[in-house]
Amino acid sequence: MRPAELARFEALVLPHLDAAYTLARYLLRNEHDAQDVAQEAYLRALKYFDGFRGGDARAWLMAIVRNTCHTWYRHRSADSRAVEFDEELHSEAVGDEHPEAALLRAADREAVRRAVDALPLEFREVIILRELQGFSYQEIAEIAAIPVGTVMSRLSRARQRLERALGSAAQEQS
Amino acid sequence: MTCKDFEAQLGAYIDEELPAEAARDMAAHLGGCAACARAHERQLALRAAIQEQVPAFRAPDRLRASIRHAIRAEAGFAVARRLPQWRWLAAAALLVGVVAGTWRLATTRATTEVLTEEVLASHVRSLMGSHLMDVASSDQHTVKPWFNGKLDYSPSVYDLAGQGYPLVGGRLDYVANRAVAALVYGRRQHVISVFLWPTERGPTGGPPAVTRQGYHMLHWTAPDYAYWVVSDLGTADLREFSLRLQEADSAARVPQGPAPVPAIPPR
Repeated sequence: MRPAELARFEALVLPHLDAAYTLARYLLRNEHDAQDVAQEAYLRALKYFDGFRGGDARAWLMAIVRNTCHTWYRHRSADSRAVEFDEELHSEAVGDEHPEAALLRAADREAVRRAVDALPLEFREVIILRELQGFSYQEIAEIAAIPVGTVMSRLSRARQRLERALGSAAQEQS
Repeated sequence: MTCKDFEAQLGAYIDEELPAEAARDMAAHLGGCAACARAHERQLALRAAIQEQVPAFRAPDRLRASIRHAIRAEAGFAVARRLPQWRWLAAAALLVGVVAGTWRLATTRATTEVLTEEVLASHVRSLMGSHLMDVASSDQHTVKPWFNGKLDYSPSVYDLAGQGYPLVGGRLDYVANRAVAALVYGRRQHVISVFLWPTERGPTGGPPAVTRQGYHMLHWTAPDYAYWVVSDLGTADLREFSLRLQEADSAARVPQGPAPVPAIPPR
């Protein structure tokens, strides 16, 4: 890589490290894994930088981080043969929430944070991309490689779940 | 439109993703419908709760430094690649040391260490021109059957030309006191050796990633096979190659499943 190209990469992509780390941290729910994956994602980004045709470097990087996280999960779950994400199945109430999370959320002032952590990966990522990182539906669709309509429906289902968590916490406190 | 229709659009309304006309209709409806107005309030409260409880993180300084370092190292590799004759000289000089080292070390170091050295020595030896390949073919359907009768297992051979790593051939090699399959892939002027053997018939230990004398080695254990990948290719490229290999491997294992996503080689 030419020095000028490296300088351009550093100027365009490095400033988004906090966003990359935040996304990885919420998707992986572990700070050490998030650090590993963030670094892996940056090396991938460097490799694919030739293919970056201008535009929003942050969105471009987020797509790489998101893919790297998914890759990480597939690798981790290869042995346990994790159930594939199913839009319908996972939109049901709290079926696949961690039991501990379900117990904790009612009494916890951080109920929503815990509820976010308990969301299936595909719901969690749209919530983080939208609520923390402020991407438009179109941008989220490109980052997650899903149709805009799916972005909308996943956000809506994710919020229904989070609302329940918030509602339970409010009831507990009153 | 019914209240149910409006409620389905509330999220998009709050996100300012509704078309102007639909947003005007929504605003008018919220003014007149107490139930939907409450749902709107709840969604706004949820957004506030998320902002309060779900913080963005700042990357640790250590990570920042580590990434900057890794990027520069990787970019530096790319510059060094333009001097291939250096690499051949280096490889030739290394051979003596590696082979001699392997003999000495075999008796003193731990098994995985010996294995690492053996795999590396095998790769370096193959580069010397005497024994790079027993079967030279870019066709997996030629390479795979070639091992029939020569090994007590049938190694997985994949065509990764589409991903930029063309299959070059295969050879029979000898590692950990047994005959093993070594597959040879190419990447520009670089040679990648892939050693694999069934997990139940060979050692499965080893460091996930090491660099020895300018060669990078990645090791992982898939459900059925232990893998070693060795090359003087940059680490990022070699990891990428390993990902493609794992991707092909998991696709072969679960033929009816959805498109597999590759695993990251362990660090």
